[in-house]
Amino acid sequence: MAKWGMVIDLEKCVGCQACTVACGMENTRLPGEHWQDVIFFQEGEYPNTELKWFPRPCMHCENPSCVAVCPTRATYKAEDGQVLVDWERCIGCKYCMVACPYGVRFYTEEKPTYGGPDMKDVFSGGKGDHSWNPPWKAPQEDWKHGVGVQPHDVVSKCNFCYHRVSNVPKGTADLDPQNPATREHTPACVVTCPTGARFFGDLANPNSEVNKQIAYKNGVRLLDHLGNKPQVYYLTGEGGSVPADRAIKPKI
Amino acid sequence: MIANKKEPKTFGEVFALLGDLYKSEGAASFIQQCLTLGKEPTPAGRWWLFSIITTLVSFAFVMYQLIFVGHASFNTSSNGVNWGMAISTYVFFALISSGLTMIASLGTVFGFKQFMPIAKRSIFLAIITLVAGFSVLALELGHPFRMLWAVPTGMQILSPMFWMGVFYTIDLILLIIKFYLMWQEDWDSGLSHLVGNLGFVAVILASGMLGLVFGSLAMRPMWFGAFTSIYYMLTAALSGAAAIVVTTYMAYGFDSSKMRPELRALASGEELPKVFATLIGITMVMILTRFWVGLWTNADGMDGFNVLVKTPLFHIQLWLGLVLPFIMMLSPSMQTRMKPQIIAAFLVLGAMFINRYEFIIGGQLVPMFKGTWAYSLAPYFPSATEWALTVMGFGITLALYALGEKLFVLSATPPTSTEAERSKLAHV
Repeated sequence: MAKWGMVIDLEKCVGCQACTVACGMENTRLPGEHWQDVIFFQEGEYPNTELKWFPRPCMHCENPSCVAVCPTRATYKAEDGQVLVDWERCIGCKYCMVACPYGVRFYTEEKPTYGGPDMKDVFSGGKGDHSWNPPWKAPQEDWKHGVGVQPHDVVSKCNFCYHRVSNVPKGTADLDPQNPATREHTPACVVTCPTGARFFGDLANPNSEVNKQIAYKNGVRLLDHLGNKPQVYYLTGEGGSVPADRAIKPKI
Repeated sequence: MIANKKEPKTFGEVFALLGDLYKSEGAASFIQQCLTLGKEPTPAGRWWLFSIITTLVSFAFVMYQLIFVGHASFNTSSNGVNWGMAISTYVFFALISSGLTMIASLGTVFGFKQFMPIAKRSIFLAIITLVAGFSVLALELGHPFRMLWAVPTGMQILSPMFWMGVFYTIDLILLIIKFYLMWQEDWDSGLSHLVGNLGFVAVILASGMLGLVFGSLAMRPMWFGAFTSIYYMLTAALSGAAAIVVTTYMAYGFDSSKMRPELRALASGEELPKVFATLIGITMVMILTRFWVGLWTNADGMDGFNVLVKTPLFHIQLWLGLVLPFIMMLSPSMQTRMKPQIIAAFLVLGAMFINRYEFIIGGQLVPMFKGTWAYSLAPYFPSATEWALTVMGFGITLALYALGEKLFVLSATPPTSTEAERSKLAHV
């Protein structure tokens, strides 16, 4: 069994949001429903201020609070370490959204956040119970693992591109987009990253590239004090940083 | 149902009564009597008609919105407030139900005989407020019917929501059994005491688990901690006390002279206001401790308390909804009189509604990792659909209460009073 994890090198990340777009295309996301997002935040006060950013996929925690709170086991930890949603079990109670410290979960039935027309209305009337029917969508669909266009009234989230990663040969340590053998099994955000800031591999394999990166460059995890133990690590290096607390302090 | 002077004692009798009425009165008159709860106008009949219309209109509006717009007709958002007013309304009703069971337990479990005249009414109200709460919750959920098989087959024992469901279901079943036993005038059997005692334990666990749903979340610091379950249990007791004061007077058209003597003795005595004032006092202390920790701490995410104390709702809740009724219920000249009691109880119910809203929404105000656009506090105001859902909850409670008032003798006490007295007062 693998324990898939991701390393994001913030020294290399240029905040271009290519990962966000690639994820949206790969997983047929609605505008605003960003399973993967780049969060920009400001440190310091004017004039001594700096704009910083970090990409934020689902952390696929070792100890996921969303899995513990789900009253129906719709959200579960898969064998290979991904946190997935079974859309045929989800009752849409949104407890997982409330319980996720990283805000990576999305409820389907909502007013659009971007002010434009609701894409679900523009492309409505999907086959079966699909929440919308986009003119183009990726072919894969696997509701038991939260893959594809979701049905109405469920919660969706990043699935570490389960449809790509799940059929990789057993024992693979690294999913490297540079390697033709593993490229098509690598999550879309990792493949598309123009600066190669993302690494994806098996955290249970001591020889994997992700483990080497974490060890040599002092990988840190977001909000580690909450005890969720993310399987996504950040390399902050000299230039990057992740916020130790909420990204945005409310102006009170 | 309506013409009979006696409370029907079995379901067979209830239906036989309805059948006889239908035969003797004819269809048109039967329907009219069902809609107004009887020929002679009664307080229950008036609010029955009003509340049934309110329920139907609000339910129709909610269903129209849910069918044609879906849950997008709510103003909740993945980027901010995930749980809106529907959840706070559910919590409001669920905790009123728990509180009413606690108030009933004063007589049935702890043996304070003077509280017996409100025990049966409390149990009945506990059932219907729980039904109202569950109805609101069901319309908030994305797939309420899926819950029926997905929860038992999932058996996710780590989930506080799972246990909340388990204990509120046990609570509801025990309440129904207890009410059935009271209906059959079985107040003193071993079974009746056992059900009462188990019901009290169940309700403590149920309200505690509802608190745990919020209190277990370390990532939501305004909710997190052992305090939340205690807070829910004790403030539930206050909600229940306020609800029973309002509804008892309501049943007699806000005229205490029509009450049965034991009930009038309780209403105009010192015990009830003393219990009421004590519970208001406990609630104020708990709000105070919650807020002084929240305002003092530097912990990340607790900033929401600074926002809450600046809202008018908070001050309405505190000064108008708790401090004023507290003073009224302590004042010797006011505590035993009907009007101040009713006003105090209404104010407290309003305060508790605000309290649940402020607790649920306030805990989600400070944004988490949601992207560049979540730059300040999460905006939220309930949509028309959410308001309608709340109105529906109140409508269901009132309608079922009026029906219960007509069908049962809710002020019944253990058989110390004579049968003649009971039949005379059964249909006030």
